[in-house]
Amino acid sequence: MLVEFDLIQKAQQGDAGAFNQIVSAYRRRIMGTISHVIGRPEDVEDVAQEVFIRLYFSLGQLRTAEVFEPWLYRLTVNASYDYLRKSRRRVESRMADLSEQQVMMADAVAGSRAQSEETEKRRVRDTVQELLSTVSEEDRILLTLKEVEGLSLKELEKIYNVNENALKVRLFRARQRVLKKMKEVTGPSSFSAKHEEAE
Amino acid sequence: MKRQSEKRGIMISNKPMEQEDSNELRLDKMFRAYLAACPIPEASANFMPALWARIEAREVSTNWFGRVAKMLVTAALAASVILGLMISSINQSSSFFNGTFVEALRADHQSTLEPLHLDRISQLEPE
Repeated sequence: MLVEFDLIQKAQQGDAGAFNQIVSAYRRRIMGTISHVIGRPEDVEDVAQEVFIRLYFSLGQLRTAEVFEPWLYRLTVNASYDYLRKSRRRVESRMADLSEQQVMMADAVAGSRAQSEETEKRRVRDTVQELLSTVSEEDRILLTLKEVEGLSLKELEKIYNVNENALKVRLFRARQRVLKKMKEVTGPSSFSAKHEEAE
Repeated sequence: MKRQSEKRGIMISNKPMEQEDSNELRLDKMFRAYLAACPIPEASANFMPALWARIEAREVSTNWFGRVAKMLVTAALAASVILGLMISSINQSSSFFNGTFVEALRADHQSTLEPLHLDRISQLEPE
């Protein structure tokens, strides 16, 4: 844990300074998670503030130190989910709109060093965002936390408060859907050639 | 090379293994590339002041809604008390429902029923 439970207790009693310290300690981590989940750097700060507002108003309910981090993650998941629901900007532009070239470019970045790094990074972001938009917001967040953030199943179990098997099934299905879309766009043969090239 | 699917403890069936492996690897690679491609934005200098401003704004709106809700509850209680009092006073003042239906009928038709009174009939009997 990045802060002592004493600090949390002080914040619970209305100590604004203690709350500021908690925010400062977790801000970067929370903003990183939000950035990966929503994929829109310009909105990350806004969603992060929403997370900390929710933390502020629900801090009084916290009883034990060990649940603080899973709980903060849950607030982050919920705020990101609300953001994604509100801004269904890309729902209509699903994988059908994703050109093969776009995916191939993303592959190229994943496999080798690209010339113009920033442009390529943007393409990777857009491609993965588009791939993730083929699953529900809930699955998208879950998949991002597991595959991008690298959270373990145990950690996810605490955040979602569901058993490991249910999570495995859900992750598997979401991943399969993303894989299917990825294959639909490029096809297995074109990828194999590209992959071998990259290897 | 260990299969990704085995690592996940999940069976993948009906597909050539190599192709599945390569697709799984490809997706993993894309996720790794995505992690590297997603910048973690630095919080602006205005982050904390804006956060506190939003907290205060929400506190104000929460208090306002709380006050309105309290007022509505009080008004509803007052209205129900007034209505209760009105209904009870109407019941008391009305004689409409006093007594049974038969009693009310008898009161209304006292004169019509008079000849049938036993005392009158008894008077007609021969001594």
